[in-house]
Amino acid sequence: MTCQDVRPHLTAYLDGELADDRGSAVRGHLRGCEACRTAAHHEAALRDGLRALPQLDAPFEMWAGVQRQLAAAEVADAEKPHWRHVVSRFAQAWFSPRFAVASAALAVVVCVWAWRFTHQHPVTVAEAPQVAAAPVRPAPKPAGEAPTAPGPDGDVAAEIASLPKQTSDAYAEATVELVKLAGDARTQWSADRQQQFDAKLGELQHDVTTAREGRLRQKAHRSLIRYLQRVTTRDEVAFADTRGTP
Amino acid sequence: MEMLYHQFKRRVFGMAHRIVGPNDAEEVAQEVFVRVFRGLANFRGDSALSTWVYRLTVNCSLSHLAKRGRRQEVGDETLADVPAAPAISRDPGLAARIERALQELPPGYRAILVLHDVEGLSHEECAAILECRVGTCKSQLHKARARMRELLGPIGGTPT
Repeated sequence: MTCQDVRPHLTAYLDGELADDRGSAVRGHLRGCEACRTAAHHEAALRDGLRALPQLDAPFEMWAGVQRQLAAAEVADAEKPHWRHVVSRFAQAWFSPRFAVASAALAVVVCVWAWRFTHQHPVTVAEAPQVAAAPVRPAPKPAGEAPTAPGPDGDVAAEIASLPKQTSDAYAEATVELVKLAGDARTQWSADRQQQFDAKLGELQHDVTTAREGRLRQKAHRSLIRYLQRVTTRDEVAFADTRGTP
Repeated sequence: MEMLYHQFKRRVFGMAHRIVGPNDAEEVAQEVFVRVFRGLANFRGDSALSTWVYRLTVNCSLSHLAKRGRRQEVGDETLADVPAAPAISRDPGLAARIERALQELPPGYRAILVLHDVEGLSHEECAAILECRVGTCKSQLHKARARMRELLGPIGGTPT
């Protein structure tokens, strides 16, 4: 054992807190090392000096001072408006351990829900609804399958989980309507324009079907809808222009 | 209430005296007792009553020092004429020198020395009062004693 090994344990050794073998090792080192022996001697003298410090008596008038302060605090309490009492009671409850645990549990539940809301499982292309087709409705259950009866918590969770899907379905319905309108307008267009429109429409529909369910698919839907709105609106404006021109 | 005061007054005042110094000790001790009596209804019994009272004492003392924002000056007359450190085996001025060196320690070291060495509380009690682990408490005590030895110089003569 070197001095560097011994010095950190001197305090514990002097206080009798080292286990037998370690205490014996420290004692053995102290027998042969004068520097450590001196350090131990000084520390023991310091410890004894600290233990021998006299007990201090509290001043006699301190109790009167405590009583004065307590009386002043009670008067201040009486003058405090009622709402501050209510706030302080609420604050006490807020900072109680039980309330803190309940708050932490609630925070975890909210985080899990938020995570599930924003990170849906990816939907494969084959499962993705076709934009031009009729909007996807929940498929009826096979006759043989027993209906499930989720509890109230299950209902809420399922509802939250199905929100992105519902939004996508609403977009899909809007898209179908707009494609119909654009299809009516398309008949009036030149072959080049029709070709451009078909290509762009195909590209945007492909984006929609390949995008992951959730925010990405909704974004693709919005791009498609914006394009269709532009196309149909431009056509109406052009039509109005041609009618308005003398 | 008065019984509780008499039970703890010495230790509370002694701790406050040695942590914040003699000038503010009474003020801090009074504040501690006011907090004890006003908070007694909300005392949840998570720890021993004494641990709670001493924790309040240490916290009040440390926050008082922080508010004061200056190092404690050793200005009282009883310590003014303390002799320089002669390395003799029986040092008559040792107690005064220790008191003075205590006031020069950082407040955290002062608190652990007062709790463990002066008041004689166990490491477990000190850890509960200071709200730290027992290992931290032991290491802080070792560092505090080392700092004290630096401040005091050689004490207790030479080993035989």
